[in-house]
Amino acid sequence: MNRVQQTPFDPGEEQRALTDGRTDIGAIVSFTGLVRDFNERPDVTGLTLEHYPGMTETALADIEDQARRRWSLQGVRIIHRVGRLSPGDPIVLVVVASAHRREAFMACDFIMDYLKTRAPFWKKEHTHSGHYWVAERETDQRDANRWEE
Amino acid sequence: MKNLSHINARGEAHMVDVADKEESRREAVASGYIQMLPATLALLVDGELPKGDVLATARIAGIQAAKRTHELIPLCHALPLSNVEVDFQIDETHSRVRVSATCRLKGRTGVEMEALTAVSVTCLTLYDMCKAVDKGMIIGSIQLDTKTGGKSGDYRRVADDEQIVTASCGDGEIGMPSRRSGLRVKCLAELRERLGVHELDIEFDELEVANIAGLKKALRNRDSRFSHLSEQRILCAVNQVMGSDETPLSDGDEVAFFPPVTGG
Repeated sequence: MNRVQQTPFDPGEEQRALTDGRTDIGAIVSFTGLVRDFNERPDVTGLTLEHYPGMTETALADIEDQARRRWSLQGVRIIHRVGRLSPGDPIVLVVVASAHRREAFMACDFIMDYLKTRAPFWKKEHTHSGHYWVAERETDQRDANRWEE
Repeated sequence: MKNLSHINARGEAHMVDVADKEESRREAVASGYIQMLPATLALLVDGELPKGDVLATARIAGIQAAKRTHELIPLCHALPLSNVEVDFQIDETHSRVRVSATCRLKGRTGVEMEALTAVSVTCLTLYDMCKAVDKGMIIGSIQLDTKTGGKSGDYRRVADDEQIVTASCGDGEIGMPSRRSGLRVKCLAELRERLGVHELDIEFDELEVANIAGLKKALRNRDSRFSHLSEQRILCAVNQVMGSDETPLSDGDEVAFFPPVTGG
């Protein structure tokens, strides 16, 4: 079950929930994204994440669906936080379970690439010298394009 | 008399070939309800059921189910739905959650099976989410309410007994949620701050051409600030599905404009 929430999450707890009562899972790959204190400017004091309620949930479900079509997966969980966050806070979690490690590594990488370029989230960074909306990165688009080939 | 189109001349089931049918805008609305103990309904409304946010989960289940209808119903085509909406109405008098689903598409075949599937699976998910506290829940009255577009013409359910009781709302809209008219336009994130506009409504007939390009032009005619919407980097979504200048619009649609996404 994917979630969009303001509150923090516990990656260990989410991973346990995914494997609870199952012995057919052979591999878990988990990615946690954290808020950095440097980005477009060197002194990021926090950020605010906005999203498009409704479309966000559909987009995440669609990204999960695409991953499941590409690889044989036994479980997927995507959690993304919104609202005000501070450096060091966890911001996004992707946990993927499969029978063998390769599927889980690939699918986790794929989900993050698609999430960064297709899910309707926007970051605004706060610094001592002002606030600004984070610009998209060409490298993210290139990363996502790798999966089209 | 009408024939069953899924039965061929030999009386066998077959899929209807739709390759030569005209594309048209199609919409179907279906509804149903799940009835539960008043105490269960109270827990659901207060978000205190053990499985968490019941309505949000059931909504996503319904939307996903609509997209997968062709995997469930043997002779259904896979359809590129342009929009699926699932709405809830809490009916405390009857201790029910009423579910309605709207599916839209521009294509060659109707979307009533998708709307009915969305309602069914939404109700089943509500059952699953609440069954820990109430196993006697009843799912009922899953039905097609309206269908528009296509050769067989429009359909609107005639009011049944229950609806006649509440018929004071009058002419043809008995018991049906009224659809919003006009277009709802949203500007998000950096674009909202730059334009100073979050949401606005625009009459559908202000558009010379009923697509996104036509909407941008109509907005520009209102205020030159909206010329920013034509910047190449600005993206748009129609009913929460990514679109482009050529995406067709119809009355009641929700259109969002936003900059490239930067989550993760």
